[in-house]
Amino acid sequence: MPEFLQTTIDKFTFEVATDRSYSPDGIWLQDLGGGRVRVGVSDFVQQHSGDVAFATVKAAGTALSAGDEFAELETVKVNLGLPLPIAGTLVEVNPALDASPEVVNHNPYGDGWLAVIQAAAGDVERAGLLDPPAYLSVVQSQAALELDRQ
Amino acid sequence: MSAEKQRIVVVPCSGIGKTFGSVSRDAAYEVCDELRPDATRLLALSKLVLGEEEARQQVRSGRTVTIDGCKLMCAAKLVAQSGGTIVREVAVLDVYRRHRHLKPDGIAEMNEAGKQLAQVVAQEIVETIDQIRAPSTPGEADHA
Repeated sequence: MPEFLQTTIDKFTFEVATDRSYSPDGIWLQDLGGGRVRVGVSDFVQQHSGDVAFATVKAAGTALSAGDEFAELETVKVNLGLPLPIAGTLVEVNPALDASPEVVNHNPYGDGWLAVIQAAAGDVERAGLLDPPAYLSVVQSQAALELDRQ
Repeated sequence: MSAEKQRIVVVPCSGIGKTFGSVSRDAAYEVCDELRPDATRLLALSKLVLGEEEARQQVRSGRTVTIDGCKLMCAAKLVAQSGGTIVREVAVLDVYRRHRHLKPDGIAEMNEAGKQLAQVVAQEIVETIDQIRAPSTPGEADHA
């Protein structure tokens, strides 16, 4: 069970799990050992995007470069392409996504994971990922920006 | 029980400014104004939000169908909180998942797919209403 950093902006509270790294886009990567990482979206991304209607992840075995789209979330608001922040090969897709894509909303840091990636050697270190406090600052900036727009 | 009391109360979410909320309201109008006007009564969720006693009494004394645009399920939760009996809880998102080609878009001006999705939701509700109102035994209709 991960611990969380939290920030409340207006009426919204966003959590950032402390046991993983983040891309500025809100993709989290959790080290599973052996060069494998589990990936998913942050609480901010799922709240900002709305209820997920369909979650489509590329097939296991797909080789991906850093920045390639590895998944798409179709929500009630948007179609959101998700770029993988590292290079690697997709080795596992969350089997729960087909029948229950809402798991991404309900538990983005747990059962709502999207895929497991076998990272290219050294790529996680090179990707310039953010630690949880740094990503929390990104969330605060992005949420404040959204509020200003409204 | 009078025919008026037997009417099924239909409560769509308010979802103002939300595409799926608009689908839920369109579906409710379709059911209550067009498809089963004599069997249903439309109730605005805002009346339950405000705690209006007449509205609360309506959901307490009859059977209710709720239609929610998002997973917050405001309509279902408020009807339950008001002591109502929900005979069908419709989540528009779940219906859309079964009809992916009908992606709704727009709010004040709904796209054609959204209008069709509202029709599908309405038809599903009508099936429920008809099942509930169908006499359970052959002789029952004569005594209704």
